[in-house]
Amino acid sequence: MHIPGAREAPIAPQADDTAAARADDAGMPTTTNIIETHGVTKRFGARAAVIDLNLTVPRGSAFGFLGHNGAGKTTLIRMLLGLTQADAGTMTISGRPVPEERAQVLARVGAMVEEPHFHRHLTGRENLRVIAAARGPEAAGRIDGALGRVGLTDRADDRVKTYSQGMRQRLGVARCLLADPALLILDEPMNGLDPGGILEFRTMIGELTGEGRTVFLSSHLLDEVEKTCHAAAVIDRGRIIAQGPISELLQDEHNEIDIGCDDRHAALDLLDGHPAVAAAYPTPDGIRVTLTGTEGAAAVNARLVTEGILVSRLEPVHESLEQRFLEMTSRVGGAA
Amino acid sequence: MTLTVARRMIGAEILKVRRNRSVMAVALLLTVGSIVLMYGYVAIRHGSDPLNNPPAGGAEGLRRGILDLGRFFGMLAAVLIGAEVGTADLSSGVFRDLVSTGRSRLALFAVRLPAAAIVTLSLSAVAYAIALAFAFALPGGTPTPSLGLVLQGAGWIALANIAVAAVSVGVGSLTGSRAVTLTAIIGWQVILTNIVLNVGSLGGARDVLLTPALDQLLPVASPDNSVVMATGLGIVVVCAWVGLSQAVGAWRTRTQDA
Repeated sequence: MHIPGAREAPIAPQADDTAAARADDAGMPTTTNIIETHGVTKRFGARAAVIDLNLTVPRGSAFGFLGHNGAGKTTLIRMLLGLTQADAGTMTISGRPVPEERAQVLARVGAMVEEPHFHRHLTGRENLRVIAAARGPEAAGRIDGALGRVGLTDRADDRVKTYSQGMRQRLGVARCLLADPALLILDEPMNGLDPGGILEFRTMIGELTGEGRTVFLSSHLLDEVEKTCHAAAVIDRGRIIAQGPISELLQDEHNEIDIGCDDRHAALDLLDGHPAVAAAYPTPDGIRVTLTGTEGAAAVNARLVTEGILVSRLEPVHESLEQRFLEMTSRVGGAA
Repeated sequence: MTLTVARRMIGAEILKVRRNRSVMAVALLLTVGSIVLMYGYVAIRHGSDPLNNPPAGGAEGLRRGILDLGRFFGMLAAVLIGAEVGTADLSSGVFRDLVSTGRSRLALFAVRLPAAAIVTLSLSAVAYAIALAFAFALPGGTPTPSLGLVLQGAGWIALANIAVAAVSVGVGSLTGSRAVTLTAIIGWQVILTNIVLNVGSLGGARDVLLTPALDQLLPVASPDNSVVMATGLGIVVVCAWVGLSQAVGAWRTRTQDA
């Protein structure tokens, strides 16, 4: 079982992956990017929900789609699935235009948009039968496997109204799996899950991408995206403001280092005016220094040590995705 | 959409209604229950005073059963089932997931009427069988129903139930709300139609109503003769109600945001 627990853990997309092979079997084009949008715009009255949106999702990856509530994440997903129409722009899934060829395209797409809904008076298995009927005869044969995969076999014949939130989320994933999907679109799938449920979900996403499927994960849980996804896009107020591999999104642009030392005030005095230091300020366990260039940490260290400051730790600052996200999105930037 | 897919989708629609206990219980009460109660009551009255109360069965007894199932309680069951089928996916939020499968919205709509018709007719068939049993078992010395009446009665009940169920499916798909659909259609069919029928000054304008149009095809005497029209016109009006309601429901299903 593959569990992506860190940034480097997710598997890089492969051109000859399993999903691509399955796509070949289904007669679908095996393009490098499974989702591409160009200039997509959607307005609700005077309000623009999505503006000139250009997005590229590589095949076979777990792709995070980040944004605040109301940023436009679900609107884009709804347009991709043909649930609502775009006002402008073009979209393709597996190289085919949507919504023009949505019937062929969505036959291999599993989607869970916002909170999964079910007929509450039906059992889990019956709910899957309802969707399988719309998908086609082969989908009905996948019901037992899908239920087993999400760990709901024992509760499959209970009515959905007796399910917990986590069970409904898992049943939503089972519903997606009926398509044997090359692409899963999961919109806020971890909403309302407890830590155990989130871990289960993360494991499941890792397994799915391990099989070569693409998982498009919309979320505002940044920590989860960082742990789960290979690449991500950040949407803010309807516009994509950054996209790429997680490692690139997290690239440190500030050349900051944290220094652990025995006398913070003396250290700050010594570094004041140092040519390698652009700024420095105290932290609870030392000082944080912003360097003027990529080199300079050694010079700073030498300066402190030669003046008798005991340096116990010196390490580059790695920002979390959450920090980068907050820096990038205008809402917080405006407030700062 | 292949025949296999259509059959499975209709089966799924039937499953949704069949497993809804409250809807099925009320529909069963309105069809089978009302027939049993009506015949039982008349049979008891006839048994206690045969000279002044007609028998429960016979051709006249079957006439009451036909009217009950096609015009009164059976019609209410058809409305209930049609409204449930028309609104179930929308009100539960599952419509979004069905659209996400890539299946055309028109196909999603098209399977609703057959499903509603099958469920409605299943209940009506059981109720009609009970009515026939009473008609032949308790004629009380009156003539038993002819084969023609039996078949025409069955056909008319089926037509009336399907027509009303179709209107309910269409309106339900338009509104997405079972409560609104039930209120609108029952209010129209039970209250407003009877008021309009009694406004003589409206003249031929009343020909567009569904109930008198169905009455023109009734194999027994109608309880309301305030509107008389040609049989052909009655057929056209019934078809128009079914066609328009289906068109409106299909349009809304195709165009609404999911």
